[in-house]
Amino acid sequence: MLSLFRITDVAAHCDLPCGVYDPAQARIEAESVKAIIAKVADNDDPDFRVRATIIKEQRSELVKHHLWVLWTDYFKPPHFEKFPQLHQLVNEATKLAGASGTKGEFDAAKADELLAKIDEIDAIFKETKKG
Amino acid sequence: MRVPLPALVRVRGRSMLPTYRDGDVLLVVRGVRPRPGRAHVVRLPPDAAGRPRPLSVKRVTGRDPDDPERWWVDSDNAAEGATSFDVGSLADEDIVAVVARLVRRALG
Repeated sequence: MLSLFRITDVAAHCDLPCGVYDPAQARIEAESVKAIIAKVADNDDPDFRVRATIIKEQRSELVKHHLWVLWTDYFKPPHFEKFPQLHQLVNEATKLAGASGTKGEFDAAKADELLAKIDEIDAIFKETKKG
Repeated sequence: MRVPLPALVRVRGRSMLPTYRDGDVLLVVRGVRPRPGRAHVVRLPPDAAGRPRPLSVKRVTGRDPDDPERWWVDSDNAAEGATSFDVGSLADEDIVAVVARLVRRALG
């Protein structure tokens, strides 16, 4: 119990206090998606194309995962206040990594759009680190 | 009736930066009503695995917008700390004490 005669430790840390967040994780997976799309365009082997499709789905899902982690765990209300476009940006980026984007299609332009959105999120992330 | 009782606590961790550093000693007062805007010693609910969390220092920002009976807590350091956004709002009895003042500043 709290007392004036004994100093009690009180925690000021997170559940798993790593605090390591970086949009680079999402970017690497998105780069991978873009490279897969390019490789499939140059390859007619049906087995290769099946593997590429499966891996592209997985990597696209990882892009969404990493962006969601940033959104829910890293960014906090003061960030959303300062960068009101952040919610929409994360929504658009994760959509671009979804079935109507890189997960479902072999469209290099979609992969580029996705990378551009991740760069925008990264720019905000770097701003929040300056404070 | 609750009687205000002073106590000493030591901050462990970085979630209350820049206000309080790791190692700071704080004078806190038990048995008083939560004061929105002030830092408090709080009891957080158990984690996802059911393990109890230690007593923590958090800022009570105000009432839970969805439940005016409960309190919303946040860390001062936006990059760290479990908050009501993670663990939900807290009941009156889980707001254990209010931070009255910094008694000893940690070195470094």
